Amino acid sequence: MSTVHPSIVYDWLRHDKKFPHVWCPGCGLGIVLGSLVRALARSGLGKNEVVLVSGIGCSGRLPVYVDVGSVHTTHGRALTFATGIKLAKPELTVITVMGDGDSTAIGGNHLIHAARRNLDLTAIIVNNQTYGMTGGQFSPTTPLGARASTAAYGHIEPAFDISALCATAGASFVARATVFHVVQMDKLLLQAITRRGFNVVEVLSPCHTNFGRQNRLGSQIDMMKGFKKAAVQASRWDKMSESEREGRFPVGVLVDRDRPLYLDSYKRICETAARLRAEGQI
Amino acid sequence: MSENAVDQPPPADSPKKITLYPAWCKRCGNCVAFCPRQVLKNDEWGYPQVAHPEKCISCHMCEMLCPDFAISVGEDAPVRKEGAWFKEETPSAPRGAREFSHSPERLAPEPADREEEDDGA
Repeated sequence: MSTVHPSIVYDWLRHDKKFPHVWCPGCGLGIVLGSLVRALARSGLGKNEVVLVSGIGCSGRLPVYVDVGSVHTTHGRALTFATGIKLAKPELTVITVMGDGDSTAIGGNHLIHAARRNLDLTAIIVNNQTYGMTGGQFSPTTPLGARASTAAYGHIEPAFDISALCATAGASFVARATVFHVVQMDKLLLQAITRRGFNVVEVLSPCHTNFGRQNRLGSQIDMMKGFKKAAVQASRWDKMSESEREGRFPVGVLVDRDRPLYLDSYKRICETAARLRAEGQI
Repeated sequence: MSENAVDQPPPADSPKKITLYPAWCKRCGNCVAFCPRQVLKNDEWGYPQVAHPEKCISCHMCEMLCPDFAISVGEDAPVRKEGAWFKEETPSAPRGAREFSHSPERLAPEPADREEEDDGA
């Protein structure tokens, strides 16, 4: 990594927006924002070469604060808008920032099909395991047995594993980080932004205001220490037995593979059509 | 206090300049909790204070884990608008009680064509 001073973030913020930002004190989204800006600064991309797309939810506010091209779209449709932007302007680096409800519930179909197509996009999924903005209702990633506003006696559905879902659906790069592992998150985001293909980075973030309070998890400091305790580096995870994995999760690069890119196939089919038209066959 | 604490002598090039920006601080306590050397401590209002600048190893952990960009480490920290920074010698007080000569919400000079603050979505 090139040497980028962390205070580079001030150069990338939109100073006509109101600061401090709207998120709760200690919210992990601020840390993700800083990490994303450092990754962008390290990637060498200019502010006009990047588009940030977000849906609805706490994470929807994130692109508003960054001084790059940004689109704040409807609920769950961040990837849909990003697909259109990328196909219209393939030279742009398109990054979507979504929450767990935004990406796996309302936009669940868009997520799996974007992964299947392997479009050249980066999807940052901030997973706080609840619908934080609307008051702590359960989301598809709320763990089994956890309490939520709409599950007062404990949640009865098993949770989605976003990374496993994206890997199965065909994403070419899947990584997981937590806001506690901020240095690793910087590296993973840089890797995802500079890589071609559908790149997913799932970031576990504490929602101490809703999820933490209802589950007696304490402040965001306690929740981040919980992430530190439960996280296992992906290289070590493979060697662990089933019993050791109980209650823990891997962080780091989980999937890194090459698959045919949608953009390349799209370009080829356009060229074929143009050739056939020129030959008078269609 | 962090369990990462290691009782080792600080490097020779200490102390590092730590710049706090309480106008943006929401008193979440991340910087104090995750500093590996206990450089920072909370004041009576919950704002961070530099208690032991000589212990700082410039790991930038406080800066990276601050969700509100309210702390910077190093001499090349961004230069804020004159008066926007909270002066260290002024006694601590809750937000609102402090006096700023300019809006604390602004880092950069305001565009001339700007009429009023827009929180836009």
